[in-house]
Amino acid sequence: MKTLSEESLLLPNPLREGLVEERIPEPAAMVIFGASGDLTRRKLLPALYSLTRDRLLPARFAVLGFGRQVLSDEAFREEMRHGCEEFARRRPVDPALWAAFARNVFYQQGAYDDPAAFRRLKVRLEEIEHTLGLPGNRVFYLSTPPSTFAPVIRSLGHANLAPKPAPGQPFSRVIIEKPFGIDLQTARALNTEVHDILDEQQIYRIDHYLGKETVQNLLVFRFANGIFEPLWNNHFVDHVQITGAETVGVEARGGYFEQAGSMRDMVQNHLLQVLSLAAMEPPVAFEADAVRDEKLKVLKALRFIPVSDFEQQVVRAQYAAGSIGGKTVPGYLSEPDVSPRSTTETFVALKLFIDSWRWAGVPFYLRSGKRMPKRVTEIAIQFKEAPHLLFGKRGETIRPNVLSIRIQPDEGIALNFGSKLPGPAMEIAPVSMEFRYGSSFGVEPPEAYERLLLDCLLGDGTLFTRADEVEASWSWVSRIHQRWAEQVAAGRTTLDSYPAGSWGPDAADRMLAADGRAWRLP
Amino acid sequence: MSPDAEREHANFERFARGEPIAVEVGEIERELGALWKRASSAGDTHAGAAVSRAALWNLVIPARGAGALAKTKALVDEIAQGVPVRAITLCLDDPSDVGAGAGGDGLVATIESNVVSQPGGARVVYSEEITLRGPVAAETHFGALVRALQIPGVPTAALWTDATMPSALLTHELLPVTDRLIVDTGSCVRPPHLFDLQRLAAHAHPLPVADLGWLRLGSLRLLFAGLFDPPVGGAPLHRATRLTVRHRPGGDLSALLLVAWLGQMLGWRPLRSAQTSDGGLRFDFARGDGAAGGIEAFLLPSDGACDATGVLAIELADRGRDEYIVCRTAIDQASVQLPIAPAKAVKLDASSDAELCVAALGPRGRDPLFAKCLAYAGGLWALEPQTTGSRR
Repeated sequence: MKTLSEESLLLPNPLREGLVEERIPEPAAMVIFGASGDLTRRKLLPALYSLTRDRLLPARFAVLGFGRQVLSDEAFREEMRHGCEEFARRRPVDPALWAAFARNVFYQQGAYDDPAAFRRLKVRLEEIEHTLGLPGNRVFYLSTPPSTFAPVIRSLGHANLAPKPAPGQPFSRVIIEKPFGIDLQTARALNTEVHDILDEQQIYRIDHYLGKETVQNLLVFRFANGIFEPLWNNHFVDHVQITGAETVGVEARGGYFEQAGSMRDMVQNHLLQVLSLAAMEPPVAFEADAVRDEKLKVLKALRFIPVSDFEQQVVRAQYAAGSIGGKTVPGYLSEPDVSPRSTTETFVALKLFIDSWRWAGVPFYLRSGKRMPKRVTEIAIQFKEAPHLLFGKRGETIRPNVLSIRIQPDEGIALNFGSKLPGPAMEIAPVSMEFRYGSSFGVEPPEAYERLLLDCLLGDGTLFTRADEVEASWSWVSRIHQRWAEQVAAGRTTLDSYPAGSWGPDAADRMLAADGRAWRLP
Repeated sequence: MSPDAEREHANFERFARGEPIAVEVGEIERELGALWKRASSAGDTHAGAAVSRAALWNLVIPARGAGALAKTKALVDEIAQGVPVRAITLCLDDPSDVGAGAGGDGLVATIESNVVSQPGGARVVYSEEITLRGPVAAETHFGALVRALQIPGVPTAALWTDATMPSALLTHELLPVTDRLIVDTGSCVRPPHLFDLQRLAAHAHPLPVADLGWLRLGSLRLLFAGLFDPPVGGAPLHRATRLTVRHRPGGDLSALLLVAWLGQMLGWRPLRSAQTSDGGLRFDFARGDGAAGGIEAFLLPSDGACDATGVLAIELADRGRDEYIVCRTAIDQASVQLPIAPAKAVKLDASSDAELCVAALGPRGRDPLFAKCLAYAGGLWALEPQTTGSRR
């Protein structure tokens, strides 16, 4: 085989210009740390396979799994094939396509803090790149426990596997899973460590919520349509509810969840990211930093909850035994790896304000919980009532207009409004105008990980979280943790309970009732 | 049950099964409205799933004769699985058809639903299909009917792939109410049809023109373009001396479009053409940057397994005699060959016509490069051959 001249490397590919078929990344290798873990089998490889099936990956592309477990290439491929057969969006797995895809899937055993393992990794990676004619573009995916993020990135640096970007040189990018830190201090420390090795533009902090089609559609909905944005402010919006509900308990992750709780697991990342997209000002361009600048402004404008209002604005609770889907489920304190005296919250409800001209005085109610009646994530914008009610004086039939944006499942948007019931009487009934991806476009949207992996390969960081965003959200969340810690220290723990299969504790309902409002039933 | 109620019930059952229902031409909207109303009220109690009536496009498809109509209806059924459309099929009878339609003005109309199965066995009645069929003289009614039947606020596409349909229908009646024109160079049996398509494309300007043939070539173009990604880079393209496109007999228009694509992207200036002794075509180009040394491109008829594109291989050689090849090894497989890496087998996309139509209704149907390449291909074909005999 021939080797390359320097001249080749300098010239861009003119045939890529004007191709509207798809956004295809340059040839590259993806190294997955934590390759023997669940995320790789359930999400990452199925996403890469589906991208291959949709012809969105380059023909020259390799995957190198790295994990502690001893596995051969063949055993790893077999395990990943089972994962794709079970979880890939594009199923059933096409045998011929899988054969071609799997030929470029490899596995390397090693420990995350062993420099020798990283030297072996480098040798193996270079061999693969040489054999497959890859240019040295690399993406490293850290699907590992948070405690290993810093050691892995240090090892990447020591092995010179992820050099800083330079013109004309192959790219090296690192995707980091959540949680990024456990509070403001640890997030800052991790950012500092990571920045010692990598430029910010090489870092892709992943929050898979941002890869969901409806979350991206939120930007299109707001900024590509002329009719909604003029209403998107405190003149017309009464309040906003954001719900992230799960039916599952802590499953086998009791140990992790004990340290995290709903606030760290859901609110600090997913819900605050969704909130910032829903509340941000229009960016100057649909470009990574322009969008992230506006999100950051929202996070920085979150009003810290004063101690005097803490009980009225923050509710936390744990699920007790109950029933989900016709099955009896245990309470949180009876879950494996959970302390029987745990004060970790599995539900949190918050009332918060954004101190900006647009949102002055508009409460945002956030709630997230495990063991709720159904799995649903949605944003609901409730508009103010008409200033003078001509109708409905005899009954209670006029409900406020609500625009609900369903993030999962059944992605879509619905607008509720009142309509006259047919007949001689002036009766008004609420009706809903619905848009659903499945029925409007005839196709289900791609998996979030597909979009995010592709964006990283293409160098598009718009849907990833920047260092300052992470720190801003931790800055707000850490104050709540600090207050809780103070309450525990003072022996005044306020931890409610709710039966599994309910929408949370009464205290959460009272929080809204005090404002003359109620939670939506999503 | 009264006869009217029985008839309504029978029609609804047929509608829910996706079978055609004959209706008066002037009553199409009313009948559809009544059926949808009944479907939505029956949805919760009978089918067990909510009924959605959806359309992202009005899709107008002219066709001639019973055979073409049957193919079109099958195509629409498949398109509806990928994108909800209100399909309006305009069929002119072929003199050879038996039992051609008859009615007041010789036009008959049918309506039907296209049902999309949902996971779990529930089903959602999804989109609708209107068929208007009549004798040749009925063509004069089609324009007004299309205007009346377009769903307002929804864009309209015309799928114009039947070369036997009167072009006046397209240019005078359909294009003024059309937002996208979809053609198919793959159905052109001879390259001179290229000029017809060019004329249509020019007439349609500034409407986006999507070509199913161009979309069929998409996976080959992507694969070939991928050969010049890093670490190879674009240098071999700028040093190219010879390009060969092997195609099955009859696939010369696809091959011509591929040469046009490369010529357009690399700035090659066409100089002359000639027939080759083995029945192929040769084009000579000068480099766009004025650099010394030209490029010779060959379109060579060959044998081999192939899909509807008719293209078997694209081979590019540069001054250093390095070769960059995408070569079909089976209908849906190709071998990719580079000087710096071992040959690699890859799967080629084998999209059905319906899948291509769905793509043509999406962003891939607005490809400005297609119009440029079509014009470039027309220019190549117009070059006078240097050898005796006409290839036309």
